Order: sequence, then structure tokens, then C-alpha cells
Amino acid sequence: MKFIWILKFGTCNFKIIVSLKYKNVSEISTREPLIQGNKSLKDITDDVFNPIVAKPGKLWFLGLMIAGSAALIGIIAIVLTIWKGIGLWGVNKTVGWGWSITNFVWWVGIGHAGTFISAILLLFRQKWRTSINRSAEAMTIFAVICAGLFPLIHMGRFLLGFFIFPYPNTRDVWVNFNSPLLWDVFAITTYFLVSLIFWYVGLIPDLGTVRDKMKTKFKKTIYKFLSFGWTGSAKHWQRFEIVSFTLAGLAAPLVLSVHTIVSFDFATSVIPGWHTTIFPPYFVSGAIFSGFAMVLTLLIIARKTMNLQDYITINHIELMNKIIILTGSVVGVAYMTELFMAWYSGVEYELFAFINRATGPYWWAYWIMMTCNVISPQLFWFKKLRRSIGFTFFMSILINIGMWFERFVIIVTSLHRDYLPSSWEMYKPTLIEVAIFVGTLGIFFTLFLLFVRFFPVIAMAEVKTTIKNK
Amino acid sequence: MKEISGYYDKEASLLEAVKNLRENKIKIKDVFSPYPVHGLDHAMGLKRSWLPRAAFIGGAVGAISGFGFQVWVFTRAYPINIGGKPFLAAPSFIPVTFECAILFAAFAIVIAYLFRSHLGAGADNKIYDERATNDRFVVVLDTAEIESNETEKIKSKFEETGAMNVKFEE
Amino acid sequence: MENLNTTFQFSKKAKIVLSILIFIGLVALAYGIFKYSPEKVWSALVLNSINFLTIGLGATFFLAIHIITQAGWHVSIQRIPEAISMYIPIGGIFMLVMLFGINHVYHWIHEVHHDPIITNKEAYLNVPFFVIRLIIYLSVWTALTLVLRKLSKKSDIQDGLNFYNKGRTYAALFLVFFALTIVTFAWDWFMSIEAHWFSTLFGWYVLSGVIVKSFAVIIIVLAILKYMGYMDFITKDNIHDLARYLFSFGIFWMYLWFSQFMLIWYANIPEETFYFIHRLEDYKVLFFLNLALNFLIPFLVLVVRKFRRVLWIVAAMAVVVFIGQWVDQYLMIFPGTMKEVPNIGFFDIGLTIGFFGIFLWVVLQSLTKADLLPKNHPYLKESFNYENI
Repeated sequence: MKFIWILKFGTCNFKIIVSLKYKNVSEISTREPLIQGNKSLKDITDDVFNPIVAKPGKLWFLGLMIAGSAALIGIIAIVLTIWKGIGLWGVNKTVGWGWSITNFVWWVGIGHAGTFISAILLLFRQKWRTSINRSAEAMTIFAVICAGLFPLIHMGRFLLGFFIFPYPNTRDVWVNFNSPLLWDVFAITTYFLVSLIFWYVGLIPDLGTVRDKMKTKFKKTIYKFLSFGWTGSAKHWQRFEIVSFTLAGLAAPLVLSVHTIVSFDFATSVIPGWHTTIFPPYFVSGAIFSGFAMVLTLLIIARKTMNLQDYITINHIELMNKIIILTGSVVGVAYMTELFMAWYSGVEYELFAFINRATGPYWWAYWIMMTCNVISPQLFWFKKLRRSIGFTFFMSILINIGMWFERFVIIVTSLHRDYLPSSWEMYKPTLIEVAIFVGTLGIFFTLFLLFVRFFPVIAMAEVKTTIKNK
Repeated sequence: MKEISGYYDKEASLLEAVKNLRENKIKIKDVFSPYPVHGLDHAMGLKRSWLPRAAFIGGAVGAISGFGFQVWVFTRAYPINIGGKPFLAAPSFIPVTFECAILFAAFAIVIAYLFRSHLGAGADNKIYDERATNDRFVVVLDTAEIESNETEKIKSKFEETGAMNVKFEE
Repeated sequence: MENLNTTFQFSKKAKIVLSILIFIGLVALAYGIFKYSPEKVWSALVLNSINFLTIGLGATFFLAIHIITQAGWHVSIQRIPEAISMYIPIGGIFMLVMLFGINHVYHWIHEVHHDPIITNKEAYLNVPFFVIRLIIYLSVWTALTLVLRKLSKKSDIQDGLNFYNKGRTYAALFLVFFALTIVTFAWDWFMSIEAHWFSTLFGWYVLSGVIVKSFAVIIIVLAILKYMGYMDFITKDNIHDLARYLFSFGIFWMYLWFSQFMLIWYANIPEETFYFIHRLEDYKVLFFLNLALNFLIPFLVLVVRKFRRVLWIVAAMAVVVFIGQWVDQYLMIFPGTMKEVPNIGFFDIGLTIGFFGIFLWVVLQSLTKADLLPKNHPYLKESFNYENI
């Protein structure tokens, strides 16, 4: 099927040809197999078990060294911050939140893809998720750990951090339940714990498989401990499926609520650019957008280095790119809506906030954000680009950069110039802040590298339910 | 306590065997598989788990205690005027209430699941075949329910449905 | 599949029942014209016109989403949303008729010259642009819906796969266009009633209402068909899936309602809060009824898995949600158009009954135009052969 449009601009003629090809009738009459290579049950077990028992390659050690060093730099920067105080950062009275909260929101957002894949795609019976949900959920846990560091260290009196939890104390003081910052405490804690148990409940059967295949006595004992005595009994499997489904049903609204509550940190205020009702679903969409980008970054590397191309196929990558089109477009529409409402509302401060974003001192950050977040996901409408691994990898990095800048733009541009011009200020991060961010990247990748070394990265049992050869 | 176990390598044979055994009123102690086999629950006549009820109760308890606690803190324990909001600021209390509900629900069902299935950090459950978590299926019969003269009949029944191996255990 | 009853006959009895409903509507309209102000009559007409048009749009949305995600479970009920989507042209005609009464409903039309806030919005809120936007929305929505229906009907006669694949492109086009224009449509026809107010979430909030309302109506139509003796072939799992949609999108609607309300309540900025203060003070019962009908009742009933698999319970909840969404739209329109708080009586309910009669007539008529099962759909067998956990 071919569409041909001819557009005339003055003397120039543009001919646009869109050619849509459809597959042969017999190819899509039944669903395509999700896993390639005609794997048997034993093949699946072996493919996922071997990286655990084999000696890791040079790339793994190299990665661990780089990530570990970055983590170390970050930890030193954090210790310095706690020792010497927030004065080491670039924040000031006007811009009280800079890189720290940008990073916090960025990391929480990244975590959302894991829960989306594990929970929401399970509820929608999307079987293709079985190849990627284990690593995506692990990614969520590590991302939330990195995220959780920031609220803790940006407080100033770090050692009094436990004040955020409601506990009976001699001062009879309780936490402020009216504050979104406190809602965050409950949201992030719940999200971390529920993600952790959801991930682990799913892991138990696979840890049983690893335990049974492990020959070394010491390792076998460890996996025996970790696998909680899993036997594969039919009654246990029935409960396993019901518990997974129920947890998915709980985790789905949870993942929406967490980034919603994070967005409430901004939206409940009165500041132009922050106080807008669209923030909750817009933030959630943006989170899934950036999270999928990070999943793609990690898995494109992992599938190559661990030889899992038959499990994480080009079809999986294409499907993830389609979700990126969806969520990226939602983010783009939210930008347009905000811009329109800034004019429509007639509120001069709101209009200024957006003009300032695009043309003020941080205009460069705004345009990086717009290019990376609005234009780039639209490129995935082209099938060839959707199915190109190199392009997808490049885009996944670009998207995460764009989403980092989105949080930066929202936070800093609205703070640095709000209602009172006499308090307008600029914000610049110090080396310490940059080091902490790099450190969290190091912590994240270190944890992920350790995960792929010692844990089954693919949900073997779930993949086995999807194949025909059994 | 004697046990008879049959070992299969094909899901179809397993389902056939289980159906066959049930038709002949032979009680199955357990079936082990590397993944949840579709249709096995029906074939074995397993009753549906009540675990989601634990989640619902946990969620209700979490919601009520979360909301109740906030109301107590802000109306009885230490009422503070925050931004002119009423002491019982219901919209403000919803996020924490919701999170508590989810947290309690998730923990309730997982703890109930682990206890009910005897799964835990130090659990020592019997493993019939190390390949049951890999690519083999195991059907185990409890011989307390079976006469001694029927063991041959059962062995042949296993074999005719495609079992690779039949084991008798004391 | 050979001895399934897949031909729908629009029986005389059904036509009589629907004629009675339409008659009730006409009587209610006449009553309203004589007894009530033009504001009230036109507000009610706008409410019903938009209500049923968006139900049709939601049905096309349902089809489009399931086509592009290559879903298979819905094929057994697919003809129902297709028939519902055939209401869109009729709904469009009603909307064009509404243009004759917008003076009574959209106060910005006559206030634009002496209210500086509204004058500021004149570039967007002016009648010519308003009308042009409506025409663009209706044309593209209708065109894409008709194309999808034509492709589906063609697939019955010829090769199913070819038309299924063609449908995917149009489905994607519809989804993009719909997602953008339902937002602006909501701004035009709902949000501008309160021209001093604004909310960036409003468009998506209305969209969530449209989606949940459409799922509810699909279930109601299914229940009606079952009552008439058709659709024997649907499984309990099909019903379960429809119930899950109703349940989860009810929660999603509540989430968006709460986000909008709470953020405006929390910041307490007068130019935003007056919207809710007006509704909380003068329309208190409806305000809370809205939440009970759309969220509380469906949630508490449908959270029980057993109930999700029983059609009459799910259909009852669908009716509750349908009424709830009617109340939601009432609250979006009437507090802004009426100076005094109106009572809901025979006029409002009768008019809706009349519109429902017209709507159902169109739906049942469309069901006669094609088989109740899309026999050549590549995923037909799947929709009978899956199990829900």
C-alpha cells in the first residue's frame, strides 16, 4: 500500500511517499514465537544458568571497576557533604533544590519501568515481558536505592534523618502529614519494599532451579538458603501465580501513586510552572518513558555480552520502543498543554515562567529537553528505526539525558525566577554535586553487574510457560 | 510411608497421567514441575487459593489504620495549623492512607503465601528430583492410600502414559 | 462455530420499546421547553449530545487500542463496540444542532467584550474558531470510524488478515488524532463553560471519563443482547476482562479526579478554588454521589473476583458507572451555566432516556449490518481459549 502526497510551497514541490508493507498472510496467521531458536526447557535453564556458574568475562570486570570507582567517588562526595554541610553544594535561598532533587526524581522515574513491565504488562497478559521482567525489576530496586539517597543527604542534618518517620518521641511531635515531602517518605518506602518482595517472590522458583543445578557445595548451600526451600509443587505454583497476579494488581496502582506523589512535591505549591494539575499523569508517563529507555540501555548490552539474543529479541526491543512512542508522546502533549494553559489562563506569572524557560538564562537546558523528549521518540514511528539496535541504544541514552533535563528545567527555572524579581538568582552545581550524581550512576551499575553475575537474569519459569517445545 | 513417583519429560504426558490417575480414583500426593503447567490445577482438582483474601484484609487494615493514625495525630495528639488547612485534612491524608493500604496488603499476602507453602529462609522441603526445577515433571503418590497389590497396576499405568521412570521409596 | 447464532435481528418488540423511550424523551423535551429557562434546556441537550457522542468515540478508541496492540481476547465481543461507534455520525449531527444554542450555555460568547479575562482568551474562544474546530473533530472522527468499520465488515467477506493489517494504520491515526482532539474538545465544550477557570489536567480527566463510560456501555449493550438471547458464545473470561477494564479505569478516573481536586484544594488559590467551592456548597449531594457512583461502589463490588465473572453483577456496576459519569458531566456543565441551583427531575432524566433510546436504536440497527462474530479475524479462536487467573 502506497500513499503519495505532493505538497506545493511556492515553486517547490515536495513529493512524500509513504510505503507500508504488510507481511505475507501465512506469517501472521498465528502469533510469532516470542523466544527464538526453538528452545527446549533444558535449553532455557542452561542459557540462563551458565552465566551464573561460568567465570565472568573481562568486560564484566572492566565494567565493575569503572562502576565501582564511580561509586567510590560518589561516596566520598557524600561523606564530605555530610561532614562539611550543604554549603559545599551550589544551592542558595532562591534555588533551594538543584541537582539533588533533579537526580532524585530522575532515579525514581527510571525505576518505574521495572514495575510497569512486571505488574502492568502482567495484568495485560503480555507474554513477551517474561524475557525482561526479572532484570527490569532488579533495575527498579537499584534505581530506588539511588533515588532514596538524595532526600537523605540533602537534608543538612543528616544524622537526624530518622525524624521523617512517625515514631513516638519525648517531644510529642509527629511528622507533618500535610506535607507532600512526607507522603514521599511513605511512597518511596512502600515502593521499595513492595518492589523488593515482588521481585523476590518471582525469583524464588528460579533460585530453586539454580540451587538444583549448582554442583559446588558452598554455592549450593547459599542458593539453598536463598531459594527458601522451593520444590516446584503444583499447589505452590498455583499460589505463586495467584500471589504474582495479586501483587501485580497492587503494584500497578502503586507505581502510578509513587510518581504522582513525587509530582505532588511540586504541584501542591503555588509557584508558576510547578502548580499545575497535569503533573501527576505527566510525571508518571515521563517516568515510564525514561525507565524504558534505561531498560533498553541495560538489556541491549546484557543480551550481547551474555548471549541472550534468542530471549531478548528484536521484537522485544521493538515493543519497548512502541511503549516509548506512547509515553514520549504523552509527555510531549503535556508540554503543549502546559504552554497553551499558560496563555489561556491569563496568569501573567505562568506565562512568564514558560517564556523564561524557552528564552531565559537556562534556554539551552529547555531546548535539550524539547529535542530529546519531544522529537526523538517520534522517530520510532519508522519501523526501520524501531528495529535498529544501534539506533535504539543511542536513543535510549538521549532520552535519559532529555528526561534529566526536564526535571532540571522544571525545578531550577521555576525556582530561580518566581514572583519577586529581587530574589531572582542563578544556580550552578558544584563539583561535589556532580560527583554525587556520578556516584549514584556507579552504585546503580555496580549493583546491576553484581545482579547479572549471581542471579538468573531471565525469569526461567515464566519463559518456560510461553514456549511450545515442552 | 511408602511413596511411588513417576517421572515425565513432556507436559502433555504429565497431564494425561494425572487425568488417568484421578479417573481411577488414585490419590495424588503432589506433582512437581519447573513452571506452572496450564490445566494442571483442573486436572488435579485443586481448590483455588484463598490468599487474595489475605491481601484484601491487609489492605483494609492498612487503609483504616493509616487514615485513623493521621486523624489521631492531627486532631488529638498534636493539632497544628498547617497552611490554614483543617485539622482533619482528608485530601492530605489520602496519599499516606493509600500507601499504607498497599504496603499492608502486599506484606499480608506474601507472608501468608510463604507460611502456607512452607517456604522460608531455613526451609528444608524434600526434593524428589533435581531436574523437577529444570525440565522434568514428577507425580508422587502416597502409598498409605494404596493397597500393596496395586503397586504393579500403578507402575504399568505410569508407563503407559509415557513415564520415563518409576520409583518406589520407603 | 457452525451452529452459533451470529445473526442479529432487530425485532419489532425491541423497536417498540425503543420508540417508547424516544417518546419519553420528546415529552421531557417539550416539558422542559415550556417550564424551564433556555439555559437549562440547552445545558441538558448539550450534556446528552456530548455524552452519547463520546460514548461512541470511546468505542472506536476501544477498537483502535485493541487493533494496534494485537489483542485477541476481545474478538468475540468486537461487533458491540463497532456498532456503538456507528452512533458517531448521529452524535455529530446532534452536536451541530447544539451550535444553535451555544449562546445559552457558553457565557463567554456574550461576555467577551466586557470581561477582560475572557477578552484575553479571545484568540481561542471565539465562535468562528469554535465552530471550525468542532467540524474538524467531527469530520475526522467520523471518517476514521467509518473506515475501521468498513474494513471489519470487509474482512467477513474476504481475507481477514489483509483487512486486519490495513486497520492497524487507521487505528493508529485515530488514536493520535483522538488523544489530541478529545482534550481540546473537552476544553471547548466543558471547560470554557467556566471561562475564568482552567486546569491542565482537565482534558485527560474527561478522557478517562469517556473511556470508563464506553466500557460501561459496551457491557450494558452486551447484557441487553444476552437478555435478547444472543451472544451465547462469549465466555466467562470475556466478561471477566470487561469487568477488569471497568474496575481499573474506574480507579484511574478516581485518581485523576483526586489529583485535580487535591492540587487545587491544597494550593488554595482563589482563582482556581472557586470552581470547587461552588460545587461543594451548592451541589453537595451530587458532588459526593459522583465519587460514590464512579468509584466507591464499583470498586467494592468488583474487587471480588467471583463477581467479575457474573454478567448481571458486572452489568449492574456498568449502569452505576454510567449514571456516575452522567452526574460527573452534569457537574461540569450546570453549575457554570445556571445562575440558580436547578433540581434534577423528570426533564433531565426523561431527556437522557430519550437520547438513550435513539442511541440504542442506532446500535441495534448497526448490529444487523454484520455478523455478531468477525469470522475471519486472525485471533478469533484466541478469544474463546484463554483463562484468567
